[in-house]
Amino acid sequence: MASLFKVRIPETLIPLAPPVSLPPPCSCGFPCFLQDPSKLSAYRDRRFPGTQEEYEAALQASTTVYIGNMSFYTTEEQAYELFSRAGEIKKIIMGLDKNTKTPCGFCFVLYYSREDAEDAVKYISGTMLDDRPIRVDFDWGFEEGRQWGRGRSGGQVRDEYRTDYDPGRGGYGKMVQKELEAQRELVDYGGSFQPNAPPPYERSERKRGYGDRNDRGDYQRKRNRNDDRAAAEGSRRAPDSDPAEKNPRFREKGDSDEEEDDYDKRRRR
Amino acid sequence: MSAGWRTLLLRIGDRCPEYGGSADHKEHIETCYGMLSREYEHSRDAIFEFLLECAEQLPHKIPFFGVLIGLLNLENEDFVKDIVDTTQAKLQDALYNENCDRIRILLRFLSGLMCSKVVAPNSIIETFETLLSSAATILDEETGNPSWQPRADFYVYCILASLPWGGPELFEQVPDELERVLVGIQSYLSIRRHFDDIAFSVFETDEGHSPNKKDFMEDLWERIQILSRSGWKVKSVPKPHLSFEAQLVAGNSHRLSPISCPPPNLPQTSSEILKGQEKHEADLKYPQRLRRLHIFPTNKAENMQPVDRFVVEECILDVLLFFNGCRKECAFYLVSLPVSFRYEYLMAETIFSQLLLLPNPPFRPIYYTLVIIDLCKALPGAFPSVVVGAVHALFERISNMDTECRTRLILWFSHHLSNFQFIWPWQEWSYVKDLPKWAPQRVFVQEVLEREIRLSYFEKIKQSIEDAAELEELLPPKAGPNFKFVGNESSETTDGHKLSKELVGMIRGKKTVRDIILWVEEHMIPTNGAEFALDVVSQTLLDIGSKSFTHLITVLERYGQIISKLCPNEEMQLLLMDEVSAYWKNSTQMTAISIDRMMGYRMISNLAIVKWVFSPANVEQFHVSDRPWEILRNAVSKTYNRISDLRKEIQSLKKGLQVAKEVCAKAIKELEEAKSVLEIVEGQPTPAERPGRLRRLQVYADKAKHEEVTTEESLEAKGALLSRALEESKAVLKLLFKRFVDVLTERLPPVSADGEIPNLRTGDQNVNSEARDLETATMEIDSENGADKNSEPNGQNTKNSYNVGELEQWCLCTLGYLKSFSRQYATEIWSHIAMLDDEVFVGDIHPLIRKAAFSGLCRFTNEGPQL
Repeated sequence: MASLFKVRIPETLIPLAPPVSLPPPCSCGFPCFLQDPSKLSAYRDRRFPGTQEEYEAALQASTTVYIGNMSFYTTEEQAYELFSRAGEIKKIIMGLDKNTKTPCGFCFVLYYSREDAEDAVKYISGTMLDDRPIRVDFDWGFEEGRQWGRGRSGGQVRDEYRTDYDPGRGGYGKMVQKELEAQRELVDYGGSFQPNAPPPYERSERKRGYGDRNDRGDYQRKRNRNDDRAAAEGSRRAPDSDPAEKNPRFREKGDSDEEEDDYDKRRRR
Repeated sequence: MSAGWRTLLLRIGDRCPEYGGSADHKEHIETCYGMLSREYEHSRDAIFEFLLECAEQLPHKIPFFGVLIGLLNLENEDFVKDIVDTTQAKLQDALYNENCDRIRILLRFLSGLMCSKVVAPNSIIETFETLLSSAATILDEETGNPSWQPRADFYVYCILASLPWGGPELFEQVPDELERVLVGIQSYLSIRRHFDDIAFSVFETDEGHSPNKKDFMEDLWERIQILSRSGWKVKSVPKPHLSFEAQLVAGNSHRLSPISCPPPNLPQTSSEILKGQEKHEADLKYPQRLRRLHIFPTNKAENMQPVDRFVVEECILDVLLFFNGCRKECAFYLVSLPVSFRYEYLMAETIFSQLLLLPNPPFRPIYYTLVIIDLCKALPGAFPSVVVGAVHALFERISNMDTECRTRLILWFSHHLSNFQFIWPWQEWSYVKDLPKWAPQRVFVQEVLEREIRLSYFEKIKQSIEDAAELEELLPPKAGPNFKFVGNESSETTDGHKLSKELVGMIRGKKTVRDIILWVEEHMIPTNGAEFALDVVSQTLLDIGSKSFTHLITVLERYGQIISKLCPNEEMQLLLMDEVSAYWKNSTQMTAISIDRMMGYRMISNLAIVKWVFSPANVEQFHVSDRPWEILRNAVSKTYNRISDLRKEIQSLKKGLQVAKEVCAKAIKELEEAKSVLEIVEGQPTPAERPGRLRRLQVYADKAKHEEVTTEESLEAKGALLSRALEESKAVLKLLFKRFVDVLTERLPPVSADGEIPNLRTGDQNVNSEARDLETATMEIDSENGADKNSEPNGQNTKNSYNVGELEQWCLCTLGYLKSFSRQYATEIWSHIAMLDDEVFVGDIHPLIRKAAFSGLCRFTNEGPQL
């Protein structure tokens, strides 16, 4: 049983010289992990307009969290229900595919208070939303434009290169989809198809419908988020997978297109 | 030997690779000590700091750290003396800062040091006696202040809590002195007031009379007495010092400088109200850590000595405290406490006790959700079935459970299931659909399903209950808008449809808000009236914003003014909420969110929301749905969130002002100094500074002054906002209680002529057969993953009916919420209690109303100990 938890040293106890000024200690009077800057995610948003120090300071003070590895089908209301359990929510911004304007598997949740954002990171990251383990991280703050996927095909970068079949995220990765499309054409034209180059994409996986998969974290990938959200320009469409696959919650294109402005920073309750 | 000394210190006592997988504690200590003595020369200070941190943050390993320090004491007496002195100083600080966890843990640490001959036993006894005498002083009417009994109780509790760790050693070395302390504790217990925690109990014992129930002090005292009678044998505390006794005995024990306790807070006044308020403050400062929940029948839970149960509970609570936010470590330490017996049931009971702790758990409830999920994964063979058993046992007693706890349980359970693919043996509960719609079991299932759907989606949850298709009846309607003016070629004949379509056109055509308002005022109100206009406008705007939360916000931000203009008073705001409720009649979540946002944009006042929730249509639902309560909870908590935000802002502005003042004073001083430096030029005194520098200093000084003034101004502005918010909240409280009193007075059965208070639960077999249930309740522990679909329904045959009538259940439920609100907002209520006494709790208030409101406040009344 203990092997499940390859135990790491509680970093609380390791006195590190803090590179940035830390928030005041929490009420328990002991140092808490959130004050340990080494706990901040290694991800660095390359579009952040500032130095590493400023970036870290922004994360330390931010009331915005980034949520990753979401299903394309997950709605704002589902996120609202889950994330409101960590505190009062000010705003939710769904990440959208920049071509199709449909959800592409990430979102930002803005809280009113820092403590609530900390609780969301502490208690929700790694738990399931729509049967997927989601990740929750501090974010330096939403700005117009950050709602769009940064992948070449319009979605997130991670969905360009994935080789697994993930029904919650549009099936195979975009590159693989193109590959498969090309192969299918080859077969259609009667050409002899040599399967040596592309890896077998575990076709059996495809049979698994939405909702009857297990939660063993098949979709949890260890890649650094650099891959996911790195800047990558270009808007060529890849052959579309069919995200609608019998899912009752599939939204038509353009359903969420009103999110483009009015993100005023006024704090209103 | 690659692991560093820090890692070895952290991992000591754990079966882990750093110690080659060995579980031999003696070996651990030898390895670690060897490393420490090698590193001592270079890293003396670092070791010093780190040892103390470890002792405080891994308190279940204190015996190991004690032995290490004991061994260090043989070679480096000064170093260890520093440790002892520093610990004493920390304890002293903690006592004055009222840092409860620290006081408790440092006392345990000192006991651990004593076991390893580092601290003299008599020093420990002296410390205990100081605490005891301070506790006795607090209880004294003349010299102390009995309202602060929570502090006195806490001191004595700390002594008792450290005895499992140091008691055996004290008994061996200074038996007479220990006996003296125990006698002192006994006499303290005889003069203190029994703590009647009816306000905080998860289950309402029948009508609240439980004279034999022990409070937490009496309970712990009994455990310690049993321990002392059985020769101080504690299985749950490791005793590594015994293996090193031969070496340790050569060490020189250090004496502890005496500690002092802060003087008792003397009573400010003799007024009963202020005393009550003071007691409330003391309860908050010295909260009870655990209110033990007995979930499992005794034959299920692990069999252990009373003191061992206490020690393991403390360890679990400490892990939860110190590893909050470190998921893996938290789960690891929870499942691998260094005890030789199993404790899954105890662990589940302890965690559920925290989740349901009243008035509030130390952390957000969602933390315990996470811990339970992680434990299910860490102990897949054992823990899930324990959780299943706990859910069944709690479900059996749900009708008797505190309202607030029910809500927490619903939120936890739905969230928990969402992490385990919504698998649950629902068919065991399918009988609830035959219960009356107000039966608490039925409402519980219905609300869990509602929350599951919110976290997932309708079809998925419907599918998850397919083995208990009867329960489909309890599913909420499939969420979706209910638009009154659906555009439809054939029926588009009414004015409403036409106007709505026209409004949509204007919005599509990007007409300004001003234009639309004019249009409403000129084309709708004169012919159709304001209410009709509100109907069309609100329905249409809600429809435009219906696609998502963000759509709603966008519409409200852009066009909310049109609604505001139509709803200048509470009456219209009530109608607006009716509109929202009608549009979203199929989605409780969207109704709640829409009203919440409208309050956020100040389109609806909190007072209007309270009134609306207590309007007839909602009052009818009080006992059958959480829908009105969710809206009420949101409104009240938003009101207080605003206040606490303002307080925080004011706090930081005050700090800012302080800084600005200092900067300003410094700048002015510098300027003055520069100006005053004179030199004699041609017989005349002339400024010696260069004019450039003077000018610059002048600019700085002006800037600083300006900064100071603006900070002051914004502080004033915030202060004004705060006092307005406080007025508002006072009005909300008053209205809230007034409405509770009104609706309850209308419906509660009257007190009989001879003064007998009606018993609302006469029909409830669950209450009357409580004892029997506890014994017969069988837990399903055979299913491997906690979700065995084939497990037999267990012993529920007796439960297929619910005999409390609808009206009685309505009363029970509403009284429950009244109690829950008054407990949740006790601090705010206490600060307005005189007003409430004058304006709400006057005249012939039904005793059950008074009881519910006052027990939530833990308020004593003159009419008896506690009504």
